[in-house]
Amino acid sequence: MSKLSQKHLLGIKDITREDIELIFETADNFKDVINRPIKKVPSLRDVTIANVFFENSTRTRLSFELAQKRLSADTINFAASTSSVKKGETLLDTVNNILAMKVDMIVMRHASVGAPHFLAKHIKANIVNAGDGTHEHPTQALLDAFSIREKLGTVTGKKIAIIGDILHSRVALSNIFALQKLGAKVMVCGPPTLLPKFIGQLGIEVEFDVRKALQWCDVANVLRIQLERQHIKYFPSLREYSLYYGINKKMLDSLKKQIVIMHPGPINRGVELSSDAADSQHSIILDQVENGVAVRMAVLYLLAGAKG
Amino acid sequence: MKILLQGPEIIDSSSPFHQKIKNVLINNGRIAEIGDKSYAADRVIKAEGMKLSIGWFDLGTFVGDPGLEHKEDLESAARTAAAGGFTEIAMLPNTAPSVQSKNEVGYITRGNDNRLVQIHSLASVTKNNKGEELTEMIDLHEAGAVAFTDGLKPIWHTDIFLKSLQYLQKFNGLLIDHPEDIWLNMFGQMHEGINSTKLGLKGMPRIAEDIAVGKNLELLGYSGGRLHFSRLSSAKAIDLVRQAKKKMAVSCDIAVYQPLLDDSFLMDFDTNYKVNPPLREKADADALIKGLKDGTIDVISSGHTPHEDESKSLEFDQADPGMISLQTFGANLVTLSKSVDWDVLIEKVTVNPRKLLQLEIPKIEVEAKANLTLFDPTHLWTFNEKSNFSKSKNSPWLGREVTGKAMAVFNNGRHKIED
Repeated sequence: MSKLSQKHLLGIKDITREDIELIFETADNFKDVINRPIKKVPSLRDVTIANVFFENSTRTRLSFELAQKRLSADTINFAASTSSVKKGETLLDTVNNILAMKVDMIVMRHASVGAPHFLAKHIKANIVNAGDGTHEHPTQALLDAFSIREKLGTVTGKKIAIIGDILHSRVALSNIFALQKLGAKVMVCGPPTLLPKFIGQLGIEVEFDVRKALQWCDVANVLRIQLERQHIKYFPSLREYSLYYGINKKMLDSLKKQIVIMHPGPINRGVELSSDAADSQHSIILDQVENGVAVRMAVLYLLAGAKG
Repeated sequence: MKILLQGPEIIDSSSPFHQKIKNVLINNGRIAEIGDKSYAADRVIKAEGMKLSIGWFDLGTFVGDPGLEHKEDLESAARTAAAGGFTEIAMLPNTAPSVQSKNEVGYITRGNDNRLVQIHSLASVTKNNKGEELTEMIDLHEAGAVAFTDGLKPIWHTDIFLKSLQYLQKFNGLLIDHPEDIWLNMFGQMHEGINSTKLGLKGMPRIAEDIAVGKNLELLGYSGGRLHFSRLSSAKAIDLVRQAKKKMAVSCDIAVYQPLLDDSFLMDFDTNYKVNPPLREKADADALIKGLKDGTIDVISSGHTPHEDESKSLEFDQADPGMISLQTFGANLVTLSKSVDWDVLIEKVTVNPRKLLQLEIPKIEVEAKANLTLFDPTHLWTFNEKSNFSKSKNSPWLGREVTGKAMAVFNNGRHKIED
């Protein structure tokens, strides 16, 4: 069996194009599996995985849990708000307590940038980053790229526009790294205050006008406004945002070519994406959700193999 | 007791022995002889290849005493400073409570006449360093505070800044500012640039420093007085000071590690590299070197900012900024000496800080009180938990071999000699 170059999946920044392709090939197989009448394989029997979520999550946690169950892993779940943890136990203590129960793998979401990297320096278990603050969300980027590959045949050479709150988005950063590694052209688009000043130095296009971004791209990955991560005011109102950065079906229909619409969810319907656009034939939003399970199965499966 | 320093190079531009290799005899805390003879002594230190200067002075050491003694207390700070080659330090007022009454100043400075490492007190400009309400600065001055600063905090309130510059003129006092625009730096974790972008960390842009320096220089031009910027890091800020020096009483320092490191050291979230001001880019480091050479930067401070493990071994955004740097100061100077002359470096850690604080400058001459540092720029040693004297261990050099060590310090009739 081929192996990943890393023991953990901390970020897309740290893995290679070969790693990504291996994950995709493995996910292809698992996608077949989850569409069979018997959706379960014994691959991770006797592997115990803890889902440690210090930040709210519905779909990512469910998707990981389902992936683990489909692989026959034993799972435990821990959820706490970072603030309540802050008052007492440190992150390291919390995780060491969980590991003392003989856990092999940790899937962690945390509000702090670098939290899984910090953990990786101190513990032996494999770690999958399920989102660290405004840094990376590697499995989301993998499932996004996997979905583009599925829809368009390849990612290489395609033009992907990531639209919205780039500054607070871990999805954006992981997507940029993944898409670049796979040879796509990337653009970010949003209000200037929500684009990091130096983002262009990553070798991507920067656009302030959403209509121009839509005209340019083959795929528009529309991000949520991360109000919960904005501790400072970055734009005047949601109303103005939806008027000037919101995407609706009329805009999509006026384009010369058919583009693909993606969204990592949950959608603020009527803010960044209107319902008629989200539910249109352009959208592969629900495919992303399905692929999420297959891609996460692949990641867990490969990391469990990397352990030996 | 007679101690003979055999054959060091004397570095003291005010001394007739400057850059000369001499034997120096110290007898009961005074310099008894300087010459070529082999004077009889109770103890002989072979000092060939070493540099002998007046005692090093640190302008702005963080010591958490009173209130934060678990980070560093007066005794551990003094021990650490002595091991680093310092005979005097000026302590930041970031204690709990902050240094804002004559009680704290008295507590910090008592016994200074008898200490190997004298601890001078910098006093707060504003109560608890919040930047809102002035402290009783005349009274603090009378009690012995050597300058006024909010230490690691910027004096962010424009009018309070102006008032303190004006008020201090009664006794020609020095205002020390840690220049930072608090709005632009809010929630900032590291220097804003391509690396902060890759890490998804909120940046602290250069302009947060540049704007504060620019604004505060305007205030200095308006009010008069004496202003010193501490721990500068940005190329533009250095340039602003360079221009302002032509017409105003302004000075500045940098932390010794600042020109040696950059923001690429943060890529794997090592919190020991998280400092404020943040490590910036190569171009800034180069500008700091230039500023050292041309005299724009008057003083090299240690930047010593100790934090206990519980404040450092954390998720990056929750870790406190700062590194301990008194004991690795000399090794850092050795690295700097590849770009800047020793004479220039030594002046910035001996004469210049004392001048700014209007303190007596020790001399290397016969009959003078021995306030001396003997430094070996070739001594290879390991900085580790055993050799570290600080209560904290937040240094990126911990566990590493470094070159350059203070071999002896002398002050107030006391001494510490490395074995």
